[in-house]
Amino acid sequence: MTYQTLIKKLTYSNRRLHIHIGLFLVLFIWLFSFSGLLLNHGNWKFASFWDERKEKTTEIVVSIPAGLDSIQIMKTIFSQLKIAGEVNNVKMTTDSVDFSVAYPGHVSNIHADFKTGTGIQKELSYNVWGKLRTLHTFNGANRGNADVEPNWLLTRVWRFSMDAIAVGLIFLSVSSWIMWYKIRQNYPWGYLVLIVGFALAGWFVILLKL
Amino acid sequence: MKKYYPPVRTLHLYIGLFVSPFVLIFSVSVLVLNHAGYLNSVMPVKVLPVIKTHLDKIPYDTSDLQTAKAIIQKLEIKGEIDFISQNDDHISFPVTLPGEITKIEVNKHTNDVLITRDEDGVFRATNYLHKMPGPHNTTIRGNATFMKIWRVLADTVVYLLLFLSASGIFLWYFLKAERKLGWLAIISGAIIFTGLLLFILG
Repeated sequence: MTYQTLIKKLTYSNRRLHIHIGLFLVLFIWLFSFSGLLLNHGNWKFASFWDERKEKTTEIVVSIPAGLDSIQIMKTIFSQLKIAGEVNNVKMTTDSVDFSVAYPGHVSNIHADFKTGTGIQKELSYNVWGKLRTLHTFNGANRGNADVEPNWLLTRVWRFSMDAIAVGLIFLSVSSWIMWYKIRQNYPWGYLVLIVGFALAGWFVILLKL
Repeated sequence: MKKYYPPVRTLHLYIGLFVSPFVLIFSVSVLVLNHAGYLNSVMPVKVLPVIKTHLDKIPYDTSDLQTAKAIIQKLEIKGEIDFISQNDDHISFPVTLPGEITKIEVNKHTNDVLITRDEDGVFRATNYLHKMPGPHNTTIRGNATFMKIWRVLADTVVYLLLFLSASGIFLWYFLKAERKLGWLAIISGAIIFTGLLLFILG
């Protein structure tokens, strides 16, 4: 295969991948675009979520057998309360545990007393707009400790999806430059448009702090 | 409909080229946000030496934001004031430029100032831009000129991205050779998208 044939094949594959990866990602792009707008425009009345939140407090009963370690205790509570989600803010003593468990649009704050076998569960549920907002940011990141990995399988799956979409968008950007370069004679303004885009982006990312 | 193909293609191409550097900012920042621990290990935040100084005549009899603005003007520090904490003794606030955070703490009785500065680097700069303007501290957000511009630009990029995805579907529809595989891509994307949302939202 000659060099020119190889280049031709690669640019053809690049174009096809640009089309099909773009089509595959379209719903994800719409979700993250729209939820990004929601996050930046908290004053949009139609998308109000905090005032429409539902709060519920229930008394819970938990039975913790003696001799369990902290992980086993948490697993027992999860199993007895039939809850699932990303666990945060765990504060465990010999007598009790406090923690929050969340998935997009829903947060439970739980206090369980081992001695009495009782506790309190405070639940917070958002409407569809609140769910969209939290989907945008739901990556299991721990603000206090960046090394802590997500502890819920679905958080890891969602975070992987975010990574995949990001890599897909990077590919769409780079492949668009290759596609334009091939037909640059027909679209000469491409040089200017690309330079202006990079100059503006570079100003924000690099030049501002110099 | 086919008569719209050439102008839509031209717009898709030019808008795509313009938006691509910003899409890179948002995409790279997703990887940075999701893997902050890894970034910290390979590219730690550089903490610069603490600076102690003193200021004269700080206007405390105005709003928190005006006081903070007056302080950074006297200190010749530029950036967005992210939030302000104040009590009877101190006023403190971070001033951020993408990739650089300066924390300022002023003793209100003596006007002594403590300045700490972190150099975050290019990758965390994308992280900051991705989160801005965001849902927090909306009453003071946009107190720096660059943030006012970024606020408009971030929205514009999102609207243009929505146009690009819609125009991309329009352009694909006229490519008969890619029709079958295109449908497969759309349907498989929709199935995975729906499945993920059903699982994660319970």
